Amino acid sequence: MSDVASIAPVRKSVIVKVPIAHAFEVFSSGLSRWWPMTRGVGKKPIKTVLMEPRLGGRWLEIAEDGTETPVATITVWEPPHRLVMLWQINAQWKPDAAMRSEVDVRFTAEGTDATRVELVHHRFETMGAEAGASMRRDVDGGWPGLIARYVEEAERNQA
Amino acid sequence: MAYGVALSVLADPTRRKVFERLRTGSQPVNVLAAGLPVSRPAVSQHLKVLKGAGLVEERSEGVRRIYSLRREGLAELRDWMDTFWDDALEAFRIEAEKSHKQRGSKRE
Repeated sequence: MSDVASIAPVRKSVIVKVPIAHAFEVFSSGLSRWWPMTRGVGKKPIKTVLMEPRLGGRWLEIAEDGTETPVATITVWEPPHRLVMLWQINAQWKPDAAMRSEVDVRFTAEGTDATRVELVHHRFETMGAEAGASMRRDVDGGWPGLIARYVEEAERNQA
Repeated sequence: MAYGVALSVLADPTRRKVFERLRTGSQPVNVLAAGLPVSRPAVSQHLKVLKGAGLVEERSEGVRRIYSLRREGLAELRDWMDTFWDDALEAFRIEAEKSHKQRGSKRE
């Protein structure tokens, strides 16, 4: 499909009923506790997914055999309000340090007990028109892991 | 349900390759087949199955048949799939609220 001159950002948001500091802490330091293990890019099976909670810190996937796969690098670190990561994954969902799409996550207190978390995945065009469009589609509406899920679902249907 | 058929159909790796090649635009069978490690009749067969599942559509240009992705078919599939960041943020929300509650109950 050739209707991709500029590539729109993917915007998502969620309200979490916790104070802002807690929301930020769970999102970053607590990544291992919530990241869906099915959403991996590196070697399987995945043992853990973690974020080094500091400027320049990496988002790492660690496979059960110890293989480390870098997924992203933190380029803006403003706890508890904002963190930005370079999303170093290419259109084939392989780690690629040259990739420059960006995930910008902002935390806004909504009163004392709730936090709005807004996530923008953008700059897909830095990946090139075609690769960028593919990545955008994947993180917004699809996902290559969906291929694994295709297979999983299909096999379950057949069983 | 339409997506069930689509999923079964896309479970075949070669068929998935044919399907993915159409993401870049509509193509005639011979062009599609040229880049794939299977015969042209095999590609035609895969296209027929994809068409049956509502994932691709075809039109004739003279003697050539041109295949393209069928947007509605993709939309059905997409509706069914969890989206990447939606899924992740929902998992995050659940964990943040759960751990917050646990902290609160420890204080009491």
